Amino acid sequence: MAVTATVSTTTPRSFIWLEKIANNFLLRRLVKAFFTIWIVTTLTFFIVRAMPGNAVDILIQDLTAAGMSADDARNQAASLLSINLNQPAHEQYLEYLANMVRGDFGKSYKSRGLKVADMIAAVLPWTLFSVGLSLLITFLLGVGLGALMAYKRDTWIDHLLSNLAATLDAVSPYLIGLLAILTLSVTWKIVPIQETRGALSPGIQPEFSLEFFADVFMHVKMLLLVYVLSSVGSWMLRMKSNTVSVLGEDYVTVAKARGLPDTRILTAYVGRNATLPLFTLLAISIGYVVGGSILLERLFTYRGVGFLLGDAIASRDYPVMQGVFLIMTVAVVFANLLADYLYGWLDPRIRISGGGQ
Amino acid sequence: MQPTLSVQNLSIEYQARRGRVQAIRNVSFEVHRGEALALIGESGSGKTTLGLGIVQLLPSTAKITQGKALYRRDTLTLDALTLQGKALREFRWKECAMVFQSALNALNPVLRIADQFGDTAKAHGYLQGRALQERAEQLLRMVRLDPERVWKSFPHELSGGMRQRVLIALGLLLEPQLLILDEPTTALDILTQRNIMDVLKELRAKLDFALIFISHDLSLAAELADRVATVYAGKIVEIADVATTFQDPHHPYTIGLINAVPTLRGAKEDLTSIPGSPPDLIELPPGCKFHPRCPLADYRCREQEPELEPIKPGHAVACWQWRSARAAMEKFRS
Ligand SMILES: Nc1ncnc2c1ncn2[C@@H]1O[C@H](COP(=O)(O)OP(=O)(O)O)[C@@H](O)[C@H]1O
Ligand SMILES: [Mg+2]
Repeated sequence: MAVTATVSTTTPRSFIWLEKIANNFLLRRLVKAFFTIWIVTTLTFFIVRAMPGNAVDILIQDLTAAGMSADDARNQAASLLSINLNQPAHEQYLEYLANMVRGDFGKSYKSRGLKVADMIAAVLPWTLFSVGLSLLITFLLGVGLGALMAYKRDTWIDHLLSNLAATLDAVSPYLIGLLAILTLSVTWKIVPIQETRGALSPGIQPEFSLEFFADVFMHVKMLLLVYVLSSVGSWMLRMKSNTVSVLGEDYVTVAKARGLPDTRILTAYVGRNATLPLFTLLAISIGYVVGGSILLERLFTYRGVGFLLGDAIASRDYPVMQGVFLIMTVAVVFANLLADYLYGWLDPRIRISGGGQ
Repeated sequence: MQPTLSVQNLSIEYQARRGRVQAIRNVSFEVHRGEALALIGESGSGKTTLGLGIVQLLPSTAKITQGKALYRRDTLTLDALTLQGKALREFRWKECAMVFQSALNALNPVLRIADQFGDTAKAHGYLQGRALQERAEQLLRMVRLDPERVWKSFPHELSGGMRQRVLIALGLLLEPQLLILDEPTTALDILTQRNIMDVLKELRAKLDFALIFISHDLSLAAELADRVATVYAGKIVEIADVATTFQDPHHPYTIGLINAVPTLRGAKEDLTSIPGSPPDLIELPPGCKFHPRCPLADYRCREQEPELEPIKPGHAVACWQWRSARAAMEKFRS
């Protein structure tokens, strides 16, 4: 009897360790994140190759049309693009994975010889800057106006802002972009359209000077405006509905009964509880900061990641597409991870159930 | 001695889609220091509305159409219904604390109990830091909570009964002269309810505030109150000290309520509930609002509404038939 009792109650030390690792919240989430990234990378590899008219075929066709024999054209294309077409698909796949892990996304098919990683690195800062800044502005604006709408609900301010938000939310960003150009640049001529092309004017060097920042702002302002206009509506409406429901909570009435000052109720009682779910959304949105918008960056000729991806798709530049997709995936997956952690950190109710077990 | 609160001819209406809800109709009563007044009545009779009215926390659809709520402390007298801005904010909780019906969600979920005490103290320029904590711990022990366990907790880490007691302790923090408890035990299980009632009785013995105890449960009122006001359709229909209410009630509704209370010893057949349901507060019946359910109603009851009239010192009834009501009701039961 005594023997069986000891056996069943004391687990070997190593076992407890394993259990601890398996139960570790962060570790579990990390494993899940990497798994997601691997799946997406793999799918990208196969989907890209299953699509008709790939760049290699096009290059081979071009070369044959120029009078080369089929075999010569194949070899020439392979060496130009530094891929091994004779390898079976699964070996190509393994090599591709190994390269990806090393951060080597290969070379661009179109801009021959240019490394994909370098191409992305060159445009990424502009997209991070423009989308990141607009996200920040949108969030602050949305939270502020949403709370205002809730506090003033059923007054003319609320009706005006709600309708505006719903309209902005419904209209496509591209249309807002076109309208912005039509009104600001064409009709009223406030913002000359050619002035905003590119991310920087020629001859301006990135440095810590007023001239540089002024130029950066001049180029980004239209894009920023359209980003903000096209997404602020949904933030406003979300914040309004959150605030309205928090205002109906008992703890807000009790806070008033406790004689707390209005400012304290607005910030720590209403504001904090109403913005809690929005922080998750904000964190998730950060994942999309690296992508930018293909349509809008093209519309304003802003050379960011979206612009690069648009070009790559148009010319079937698979390595570039793969590279962009991969960094977007990584960003989105980690932003989600961040969102989970942020929420758990901000909301004590989750803090217990999420972290503890 | 001057009463701590004297409510005079108070009427409150809600503007609903179907019309005006007459939730409180011409109500007057007084509570003195150290006294507990129970407001009892079926749900929907307007008890919560009355409490919310006194601290001016009625929803925007509600309107106080007449009346006063005079609050007195020492030489200070003010009408709680006309307070505004800073004066109103200071009146709330420091002079009059109201613990709400649905206390489970009464504490901000993202703040620790310590911070909720801190907020309340700070808003009224009360103790801070170490001194506040000591005072709060003393109060928490008074409501039979372990301060160690509670002080740094978030509301969701506490059970319903614990949260209710935290709220009661918080209500006592600023030593208000008037405490309104709106159904403080309704959402809780029977054992927790017992516990809260014991806590409240202890507090009453130790402290010296005026208490308005709102409940639909007569047996709880019997335990805690010195006087009982029976509310029916937004009006006080009988008010008397607790012994009189239970032994010598004169309003058929009060009599019916008391008969409806199951006693441990009483046989099951004794339990007579009042037939029918409370009236629609939008389209009130003419005459006495209780007449459609009253076995004693006659032509006068159907046409004229009786006002609350004193029948003995400290005992008032609003019923045309109060002289014969007790005997007649006995007859109807058998
Ligand atoms: N916000 C409101 N709008 C309209 N009618 C209301 C509102 N709140 C309460 N009432 C009505 O007022 C009456 C009294 O309600 P209440 O004071 O909550 O009663 P009790 O607390 O006695 O249950 C009820 O008939 C109820 O339907
Ligand atoms: Mg109620």
